[in-house]
Amino acid sequence: MIEIELGAELVLRDPETQQPLAPKQQPGYYPGYSTLGQKGYWDATTRRAVEDRVYNVPPIRFFTEDELLTITVACERILPQSDRLPARRIPIVPHIDERLYKNEIDGYRFAGMPSDRDAYRLGIRAIEDMARSIHKQPFVDLEPLKQDFILKSLHDGKPLVPHKVWEAMSVSRFWHMIVQDCVSAYYSHPWAWDEIGYGGPAYPRAYTRLENGLPEPWEVDEQRYEWAAPAESLSDTYEPGDDPGSVSGQGGTH
Amino acid sequence: MKSPLFGSFSKPDTDEKILGPMQRISLKKMRRFPESEPVDYVVVGIGSAGGVLCQRLAKAGFSVIGLEAGPFWDTERDWVSDEKGSRKLYWNDLRITGGEDPLAFGENNSGKGVGGGSVHWAAFAPRFHPSDFRVYSEDGVGCDWPISYEDLKPYYELLEREMPVSGPAHFPWGDPHGYPYGPHPVGGVGNTLIKGCTKLGIPVVAGGPVAILAGSHGDRPHCIYRGFCIQGCKVGAKASTLITHVPEAIEYGAEIRDRSMVFRVSMKSKTGADGVFYHDEDGREHFQRAKALIVAGYAIETPRLLLNSACPGHERGLANSSNTVGRYLMAQAGNVILGRFADLVRMYKAPPAHALTEHFYETDPVRGFARGFAIQTVGPLPIAFAKQMMKAKGAWGWGMRRVMMDYNHWSSLGLLGEILPWPDNRVELAEEKDQFGIPVAKITFTLHENDKKMIEFGKKVVMEVMWAAGAEEVVQESRYAHLVGAARMGDDPSSSVVDKFGRTHDVSNLFVCDGSILPTQGSANPGLTIQALAARTADYLISQGERIFESDRRDMTTPPIRRELAVKGAFVHGIPRFWN
Ligand SMILES: Cc1cc2nc3c(=O)[nH]c(=O)nc-3n(C[C@H](O)[C@H](O)[C@H](O)COP(=O)(O)OP(=O)(O)OC[C@H]3O[C@@H](n4cnc5c(N)ncnc54)[C@H](O)[C@@H]3O)c2cc1C
Ligand code: SF4
Repeated sequence: MIEIELGAELVLRDPETQQPLAPKQQPGYYPGYSTLGQKGYWDATTRRAVEDRVYNVPPIRFFTEDELLTITVACERILPQSDRLPARRIPIVPHIDERLYKNEIDGYRFAGMPSDRDAYRLGIRAIEDMARSIHKQPFVDLEPLKQDFILKSLHDGKPLVPHKVWEAMSVSRFWHMIVQDCVSAYYSHPWAWDEIGYGGPAYPRAYTRLENGLPEPWEVDEQRYEWAAPAESLSDTYEPGDDPGSVSGQGGTH
Repeated sequence: MKSPLFGSFSKPDTDEKILGPMQRISLKKMRRFPESEPVDYVVVGIGSAGGVLCQRLAKAGFSVIGLEAGPFWDTERDWVSDEKGSRKLYWNDLRITGGEDPLAFGENNSGKGVGGGSVHWAAFAPRFHPSDFRVYSEDGVGCDWPISYEDLKPYYELLEREMPVSGPAHFPWGDPHGYPYGPHPVGGVGNTLIKGCTKLGIPVVAGGPVAILAGSHGDRPHCIYRGFCIQGCKVGAKASTLITHVPEAIEYGAEIRDRSMVFRVSMKSKTGADGVFYHDEDGREHFQRAKALIVAGYAIETPRLLLNSACPGHERGLANSSNTVGRYLMAQAGNVILGRFADLVRMYKAPPAHALTEHFYETDPVRGFARGFAIQTVGPLPIAFAKQMMKAKGAWGWGMRRVMMDYNHWSSLGLLGEILPWPDNRVELAEEKDQFGIPVAKITFTLHENDKKMIEFGKKVVMEVMWAAGAEEVVQESRYAHLVGAARMGDDPSSSVVDKFGRTHDVSNLFVCDGSILPTQGSANPGLTIQALAARTADYLISQGERIFESDRRDMTTPPIRRELAVKGAFVHGIPRFWN
């Protein structure tokens, strides 16, 4: 049995009775659903690619030790996972590091932006300097709420203190890049698919229940609960900024 | 379960390419041409247009080499049913993007590898409307095409059979028509569009038109509704030139040389080209001789190659005496409108492309802008959806986790709006160089008044449709899709790059044939039109025969359509058959 050890306690409630619920072994409204459990139905190449993501986490080769600390803590705020069992947390920074190490870019760079590699180095430095100039402490030692205030100021495109880095690089473009790198790592992982009830690979088997949100016989029906994010966080609200138009790493649609 | 249920379709022989579970071709048997001897045609870029060109020219008996910068895919061993694992399908090499409304590239719009953009297109395959060919005459904006809808219509009909396209029996817009294969069943996003439109009294069609098989066809199985179309269809149900036209090109003696990045067109005289320089995978330089060349590298790489081929007599770039190479670049407005529903939608199922309305396609003076837009279904998978939530709702942190837990409650519709051609929206060369030391493309893109009005109006309409479908929250993010233009065709050599058959005005044996020759773009996805134009250009080249190689004289007679050159099986419905 895995011991449940949830870092920040989320308050979970039954939507009908409002009674508190016990912490979940697996976050999300699809209890017991496992995409990996369906891997025998996937084609071999896909299975290898997805398993690789779970079992072969790339080593850190790009970030320096100091950068690694800052970016790791920042990513824990940008994509918090303290409700997940420690053994079931999804690696984020190793994937960003690997992308930068291999210099895998998205096929374009906005005029006036530095390279992705430089953008990360500069952005991390600016975050660190912001923490030290406001709180006289390294970013990683700040309380979560203070960390969120710093990150939220990047989200808003209005850094709490001016920095020469932001004269050379758009705050919003940097923010969008780091957020999209975080979501790419998280939502490409089968444990995240379990959380959101996404069916995952379906070749050669097919999907057959296309309408009305019906689950396939092997998918799980939704069972909702209510939850509140930890009090010491700022990110559980939605404040869209100005429409940024194109952003880095933008996927295609139609 | 230890091993995949159906086993792997893989075979150890790497010279054999698996193209969907029923089709295999052996590259060992492919014809190879020496570099020193000129072939009749070199086609640069084997994408939507390039694939069709190679097939037609080879089938008509010409010697043809297709040079493709990316790899020759094996769909079974190279492709995955996975969002992140599919990034290799895109053109991820550096481009610089600027202007007031910069475009995104890579995953958002460009492919690399045999099949090009047809590998990752959603496969919506509507025709352009007759009005698209005379935008200037009708609306006083943009420009007219040097050809009419009637010129292209027989090629639309032919390509709809070759891909083939599934869709409604009656498609009511533009030139009304039907489709060879019946419509697909509707998924969650199609439901949303039909419900919303019907509520508002807007005509709408479901189940296509989309170049995805609704029934098995020759060596290709029908769709299994797995929703990974823009990640490359491993099933082989979605048409890409990799599986529709390239196999037949090879069968008829074309050579497809993959991982070959062309960087300069070589000139033997002021008006004649004699080959291309390219880099192989290891960066080694090669020169391939040819009697005639067709550049089919997509609306960014085509102008980049022409500009990089500047030489004495063509200082501004090849075929650029008009100074229009790289100009009039267009993208369609592709805003995505997302609605949250109380009930589950599960929008990852079914092909994202399966319902649309072109009710707002034509100019309506009441709206205060020229031209119009279409509304289409889209179906973002989790990563794409998360990025959309980042933009549309400003989501991050716990808010991101929360909205993503509701992924299955969201539905999405795409605006597809006509942005007009403007000379200042253009491709130039940047200071930066690629891995081979060749200057990369720098793109400038800015919306003009008419474009902005169209987008404002269009996105409001799509949002109304989303509300009418029963959404309880509606948000939107702006984006652009489908690059065309940048080497446009026209009758006047002083304001266009190529003539109505794709021949550059300046160099008699150099052609351009891909999305970059489109003078305007309508509100229809361009893929079908690009392939139809390729088939038409091929018919012209075939009808001209050796004259293309030997003479500067331009014969502007429209060639007869050669239906006999269509890919096999275009006129029959097939029987599924597994190889063993
Ligand atoms: C996510 C997505 C969805 C889409 N959905 C649709 C849709 O539903 N319907 C639709 O009609 N369209 C759709 N499109 C657009 C469609 O894919 C393109 O319009 C179309 O493929 C363009 O065709 P093309 O022949 O101009 O170029 P491409 O198909 O891009 O082919 C160009 C080829 O040339 C190669 N190349 C370029 N330069 C060189 C060089 N110098 N040397 C050698 N090779 C070179 C490239 O690698 C590429 O393979 C979509 C695009 C995307 C990204
Ligand atoms: S939905 Fe159909 S066409 Fe699209 S990838 Fe799946 S099988 Fe292919």
